[in-house]
Amino acid sequence: MSSFIDYTVNGLVIGNIYALLAVGLALIFGVANLINFAHGSVYTIGAYIGWAAITFLHTPLPVTMLIVFVACALVGMLIERVGLRPLQGKARIAPLLATIGLSFVLDQVVQLVFSPDPRAVPSDLPDWRLTIGGGSIGAMDILIAGVGIVSAALLYVFLRFTKLGFAVRATAQDREAAQQMGVNVNAVNSAVFAIASALGGVGGLLVGMYYNHIDPAMSFQATLKGVVAQVIGGVGNVPGAIFGSLLLGLVESYGIALFGTTYRNLFAFVLLIIFLLWLPNGLFGGRSTVHTEPLVGSFIAPSRPLRVPRWAIWALALIAFALPLATGAPYLLQTLTNAWLAALLALSLTLISGTAGQISFGQAALLAIGGYASALLAVDLGAPPIVSIPAAGLITSALGTLLVFPAFRLRGHYIAIATLAIGEIVSLVILNWESLTRGAMGITGIPPLSLFGHEIYSARAVYWLCLAVVVAMALLQSRLLNSHFGRTLRALREDEIAARSYGIGLDRYKALAFAFCGFGAGVSGAITAHLYSYLNDQTFNSQLSLLALTMVILGGMGNVLGAIVGAVALVGLPEIFRVAAEYRILIYGVALLLLIRFRPQGLLGTV
Amino acid sequence: MSFNAGFQFNRLVRPAILAIGLCALGSSAALAQAASGEPVTIGVSGPLTGQNAQYGAQWKKGFDLALEEVNAKGGVKGRPLQYVFEDSQADPRQTVAIAQKFVSDPKIVVELGDFSSTASMAASSIYQRAGLVQFGFTNSHPNFTKGGDFIWSNSVSQADEQPRLAKYAADLGFKRVAVLYLNTDWGRASQNLFSEAAKGYGLDVVASEGYQPDEKDFRSTLVRVRDAKPDAIVLISYYADGALVTRQIRTVGLATPIVASGSIYSPKFIELAGDAANGVFTASNFFPGDSRPEVKSFVDKFRAKYNEEPDDFNAVAYDTIILLAAVINQYGTDRTAIRDGLAQIKDVPSVIYGKATFDPQTRRVAGARAVYLVVKNGQFVLWDGKKPSAT
Amino acid sequence: MTRLLEIRGLSRRFGGVSAVKALDLVVDKGELVSLIGPNGAGKTTTFNMISGLDRPDEGEILFAAEPIQRLSPEAIAARGLARTFQHGRVFANLSVEDNVLLGAHTRLRAVRPGWPLVGPLAELALALVRPQAVKTEEEALKAEAREILGLFGDRLTPRLDHAAYSLSYANRRRLEIARALALKPQMLLLDEPTAGMNPTETAEMQALIATLKAQGVTILLIEHKLEVVMQLSDRVYVLDDGAKIAEGPPETVRNDPAVIEAYLGHSNVGATTPSAEAVAT
Repeated sequence: MSSFIDYTVNGLVIGNIYALLAVGLALIFGVANLINFAHGSVYTIGAYIGWAAITFLHTPLPVTMLIVFVACALVGMLIERVGLRPLQGKARIAPLLATIGLSFVLDQVVQLVFSPDPRAVPSDLPDWRLTIGGGSIGAMDILIAGVGIVSAALLYVFLRFTKLGFAVRATAQDREAAQQMGVNVNAVNSAVFAIASALGGVGGLLVGMYYNHIDPAMSFQATLKGVVAQVIGGVGNVPGAIFGSLLLGLVESYGIALFGTTYRNLFAFVLLIIFLLWLPNGLFGGRSTVHTEPLVGSFIAPSRPLRVPRWAIWALALIAFALPLATGAPYLLQTLTNAWLAALLALSLTLISGTAGQISFGQAALLAIGGYASALLAVDLGAPPIVSIPAAGLITSALGTLLVFPAFRLRGHYIAIATLAIGEIVSLVILNWESLTRGAMGITGIPPLSLFGHEIYSARAVYWLCLAVVVAMALLQSRLLNSHFGRTLRALREDEIAARSYGIGLDRYKALAFAFCGFGAGVSGAITAHLYSYLNDQTFNSQLSLLALTMVILGGMGNVLGAIVGAVALVGLPEIFRVAAEYRILIYGVALLLLIRFRPQGLLGTV
Repeated sequence: MSFNAGFQFNRLVRPAILAIGLCALGSSAALAQAASGEPVTIGVSGPLTGQNAQYGAQWKKGFDLALEEVNAKGGVKGRPLQYVFEDSQADPRQTVAIAQKFVSDPKIVVELGDFSSTASMAASSIYQRAGLVQFGFTNSHPNFTKGGDFIWSNSVSQADEQPRLAKYAADLGFKRVAVLYLNTDWGRASQNLFSEAAKGYGLDVVASEGYQPDEKDFRSTLVRVRDAKPDAIVLISYYADGALVTRQIRTVGLATPIVASGSIYSPKFIELAGDAANGVFTASNFFPGDSRPEVKSFVDKFRAKYNEEPDDFNAVAYDTIILLAAVINQYGTDRTAIRDGLAQIKDVPSVIYGKATFDPQTRRVAGARAVYLVVKNGQFVLWDGKKPSAT
Repeated sequence: MTRLLEIRGLSRRFGGVSAVKALDLVVDKGELVSLIGPNGAGKTTTFNMISGLDRPDEGEILFAAEPIQRLSPEAIAARGLARTFQHGRVFANLSVEDNVLLGAHTRLRAVRPGWPLVGPLAELALALVRPQAVKTEEEALKAEAREILGLFGDRLTPRLDHAAYSLSYANRRRLEIARALALKPQMLLLDEPTAGMNPTETAEMQALIATLKAQGVTILLIEHKLEVVMQLSDRVYVLDDGAKIAEGPPETVRNDPAVIEAYLGHSNVGATTPSAEAVAT
């Protein structure tokens, strides 16, 4: 029984830490209606600025906190000014993606400046501890709790009772109306980002001290957990964020108690899904109201697609097929093969997120399902690749649709979070279901590609195979887009209420769209598995999902040729610029930001 | 950069290299120690950015130190030895592209890396088919070298390491151990091997908890561990996560002794774990205080060049260059000759192994040296043989 | 006269507020019935319940004698009920033609076989394969769409492949109606079709609605512009605060004191400029 108390205390302690992030996220969502994926990056920056202050200036803790507070407030204002303000009035997806681009840029800058090595952050807090049950809490736990609670309370009072707070809430409700009433909307947004980022930064410093460990890669997990806590508490609800964080901490703790450490994140994400499905407004969010009627309700940037004449497309395809005859250079062929496999993923994503308007941040999970399906069929059942790869495509189709099905009722940001969570869950299930997938050890000895008994492994043959698959998928997808079915999917994207009122069953078409795109992605993962002859849970990671999204935006959402162009560009260009390898992610981030700002419809236009 | 250049380059420059090489040989007597002429290039595939970037940075330090030494002594066959480091971010997609690049570049005589087995094994078939040695010096996955006869590794085999760790725990007088392991292919394989070996030494594994590489919070895990009532906690970790766990073990008030695998050996472990590091036992392949001459010379040179203490990753990287330089010097720069050379070469001086010889069947090196260590006053020191008093 | 739509005792509450209270309403085939009343009277809420976007707390809605209050909007659309929206909901990034073609979605037979279980997969397969039957149906529909757009003169036809978001407001409202007509509805629900239109546009719209009525389309209309209501309607229902306060032919309703009090005001609508007293009331 005493262990139960310990687990509870521990859950509250870690929940405490999540709260520092969730509060800032909640504030930003409440005002800008935006999930700030760059929040974790500010958290990291805060930790490093704090480290620098302590190491070089030897500042005592309160002064360090103040320095971090101010510095991160400035960073927050910079993010708002440079990354988000120019996007006012653009498609609603723009700010969401801009924050992702910003997170890439900020994380890389930190890594370039400070090196990837983790650092210790000395703390000058007294060493006393308070024993509770079998465990204990210390001065830092109290400080973190204090900062969390006090900032939430102050924010609550600020929002409710001060003039600026009213302005903030008014802007959140209706930006134009607030502007009409004389509210300086830009100043309000700036202030909000400043406060939220300052809190996030201080959080990073305190947590860094708590664990005596900071490294540039800490932002992703931080953002993820913060988002989960926020959804639980009620997106945009500041006090709710605290409760959500504590609940998340407790669930994780009890999950570990019951099943073991490796299930921790699985519990967190399953909890998220449960909330998204049954309590989408969280514990404290208000009841949802009837949807307002948008005139241009779409999540993507309106544009006309670039008309690429038929003959040009055929010419490009011909050049692509003829390339290995002109040059046998394996490096080029391998790079392009990678591009074709990435293009399959991009095609699947552009269909579901571009054409059907269901933003997916977890597409890489489909690659993993396809890869494992084919690998297991080949290794455990001896199926030849010519059977296992299409079968894997079908399995991914079915399983992928099944997994995402419960999330069909979600819209906009929520479906993005849900697909992200489902992607992580797939990865964690693969890691933990050792009897099936061999867990972290992975599956070795996956047979190479072969066609009718002949092994295919020369760079040329593999290139042709992958190119053929991409071209086939692209043709099928184009055909689909030009049919009534394609039209129906786009109606789904544009306006679900109008669509339903004209007989379009949402679940049916979302399911079909996922089923179709699952096939292509599954085949891509399957081919990859046979090419690498080894795969484990790390082979297809969540960064791939975000990379695919960048490709699709670059090409133009919904645009078939665009998806392929985007894939070739984002796989091929970094290979050409290998010298700038250290800056690769930085360049992706900047590219994404520039695209969103200046050309959200991508190179070839949205369809 | 034209991709066609590769072919023509081959035809024109080979005779030129030969000519230069002959000249270099001839003039090497006159130029005494300096290496000159067309460099011999090693291709390195590894993480310079991304989650594992810190390890790539450690590699470079080891490589650079070794190269200085090798080239000061005349290089390989009189020519300077160099490496070209392609950033793979330990991403399998990139390792395969880099593999194709390396195999089709005739200047590359041997390949090193990648960091993780996931990444390396994805590219193995390319190296094998092309006949370029893939030397995965940090790839300890048991199936890594099974990729073919061009796939080699001098990474310490966990099949040697883990039984040694178990023996240390037994020698320390522990009976019930709780294992915390990094849930990656390396960690999982190691944990399996440890558990098996533990039985042989009369140890009872009372708990086994795997954690993710980016995990920060271990408090609830430690409650589980505590409830299993172990005499000692065994850590199968790298230095960063090992430090996190160690610190938290003490922070939550557990006084249970800690025995960690040699992979935590690094000055950074102590820096990150702070006072909690004191009393941690580890069996390390690499210890700067080791009196062996290879170790002393390496440590002194490292300190002189970088003004910091070297760790396991630096040592392994250094060893690898020294090893390959020896192979190339003795057997030449032809790719197949290098493979054959690895099978034949004997007793190459090694920081980790003392003398390294490969088993041609497994393509690995057996017999890594290890010392029993313990942390005292913020320093790793040799274990004095005293068993810790019962908690 | 067959009753096409019959509503009995319909109620809907939101929190503590009753948006619709025990409403009874009937629309016979071929009629044009108007629903008028102040803002917040419950008119759009009633529409939402009829078209399936909302569920009543109490009461029944019968369409062609079948209860539909528990059906989804898709199912109701399949039964021949089409509607437009208060602020206009066209598919913004789709072309004019695409918008109209989507209106006919429920009528497609070759493209969307209604087979149980495999129906959806068959639809996907047919979209990829496109046999002759599918092509023929699609061609026929495109011809039909052009016809429908022809009803609007040259307002929409020259803009067939323009994206809907590029249309003027009035054209968008027209497009919405074209889309509704493509469904070949048994009954049309029009929610403030002339909202935001100037007198010329309003007159055009009124003429169009009259044409549809003449063609036999049954229409339930929400409108604020009383000239339109008076001139088009066979019958009028007046709602205030969720309850029906009057019903009957236009003239009767116009002179009903309760209606005047709640909605019309004391001035003669459209006849003179409102007097200062009337404004002050």
